[in-house]
Amino acid sequence: MRLSNTLLLSMLLCVGTLNAQTFQTESGTAVFHSQVPLHSFSGTSDHLIGMINLDDNSVDFYLDLETLETGIGKRDRDMRETLETEEFPFAEFFGELTSEFDINSDAEQPVTASGKFTIHGVENDIEVEGTLQKTNEGLLLKADWILLLKDYDIEPPSLLFVKVDQEQKIEIEALLKPVDN
Amino acid sequence: MPLKKLPLLFSLLILLPHLLFAQMERKRTVQDGPVEDIFLSGSLIGMSTVSALPQRNMNTMVMHNFGLISGGINDFFGIDVGATVRLGIDYGLTDKLDIGIGRTSRENMVDLRLKYLLLQQLKSDKVPFQIALKGDIGINTERENRFDFTFKERLNFLGSVMIARKFNNQFSLQLAPMISHFNTVVLENSTDELNHTIFGIGIGGRYKWSQRNSVAFEYLPVIGERNLGTKNHAAVSYEIDTGGHVFQIFLMSGQWFTEQHLLARTDTNISDLEFRIGFNINRLFSLGK
Repeated sequence: MRLSNTLLLSMLLCVGTLNAQTFQTESGTAVFHSQVPLHSFSGTSDHLIGMINLDDNSVDFYLDLETLETGIGKRDRDMRETLETEEFPFAEFFGELTSEFDINSDAEQPVTASGKFTIHGVENDIEVEGTLQKTNEGLLLKADWILLLKDYDIEPPSLLFVKVDQEQKIEIEALLKPVDN
Repeated sequence: MPLKKLPLLFSLLILLPHLLFAQMERKRTVQDGPVEDIFLSGSLIGMSTVSALPQRNMNTMVMHNFGLISGGINDFFGIDVGATVRLGIDYGLTDKLDIGIGRTSRENMVDLRLKYLLLQQLKSDKVPFQIALKGDIGINTERENRFDFTFKERLNFLGSVMIARKFNNQFSLQLAPMISHFNTVVLENSTDELNHTIFGIGIGGRYKWSQRNSVAFEYLPVIGERNLGTKNHAAVSYEIDTGGHVFQIFLMSGQWFTEQHLLARTDTNISDLEFRIGFNINRLFSLGK
């Protein structure tokens, strides 16, 4: 075998090996919880798209914000207007796992990811804590963090003249399946 | 292979994982969709709009107007004069089909309505208009001393095709050809010509000048035959959208909140500036996902 062929084979093997450590989802769940005095509401989307690569520890998630629903169509439209989704359609996180994860264990393991979270066209460095668990189907990820609207230049909308709280609790849950070779 | 190319290949090998696992390409999950908020609520002032409720959403309405402002300070610009109140509930059976019921204090009118969204304007402009059909049946339930009306004689009807376009984030316009029919029309003079069926075309628009505030208008001219003494209805309003509520404060010439009555029974003249102050309160509820 010529040297170039050997190298090509090595590259392909390399890709195969790498893919075996890559997990993806297109149907994760993202939830935000909002509060105003005497009232609270949540928005949910089941269209969270994400990937975790255990070889280079990269973590990449994004959500089309127009898929978020609060149960009231009018409130959804207000939310989209507040987030200016026509101009900034995605909320996205791109970073890496900064804690160890044992792929050979079935136990739920605490993990930390650091990276850049972008929404409303504003990018901030954040650190997110959550859990990762290997299951028969793939990796089950659960995480939550607090988002401050002012950090992303989001003007809190009003409900009956009362401003929505600056703090929004974000929760995500996703079953990421191994990428086929 | 020349040995001098080996470093390049090794570099590729090292870079490959990063090339392969760079950030995913961002793709919109929602590629196209209906244009939203063509109007803030299901009614502009007295006229209905093409906007329909999402499934399992309920809109409760308090619609209210007073006497003519031309009465001046003596009757506090109409506020001391008897009010017309319509209390109503609309419910989204599906994302395209609303049903509703209301009761107006005038003639104790109970009305049942149905609105069907035939066509939705799309963001891509592949469908440039939104079209909705509306039917309304009014039942006069007032105890009448002069006549002994049968149930059938107490009925009145409306059929309407609403065609609207949201031109940009600020401006929406609607045209609504409509027909009203009253099973009973009371003549004030025996010489009056009697028209049970009246045609008209509703013209309505909204200009949204901030996220929460809009101004709107509606005009409902009769097309063709009309009953003596009736006039075209018109109204202007200021709308405040608070998220769950839409408040509408307005001046209107007609006295009713059902289009068949606005079309056939308005008897005040806008050219004489015969308006009345009124307000609507719309409150949206979600009844589950």
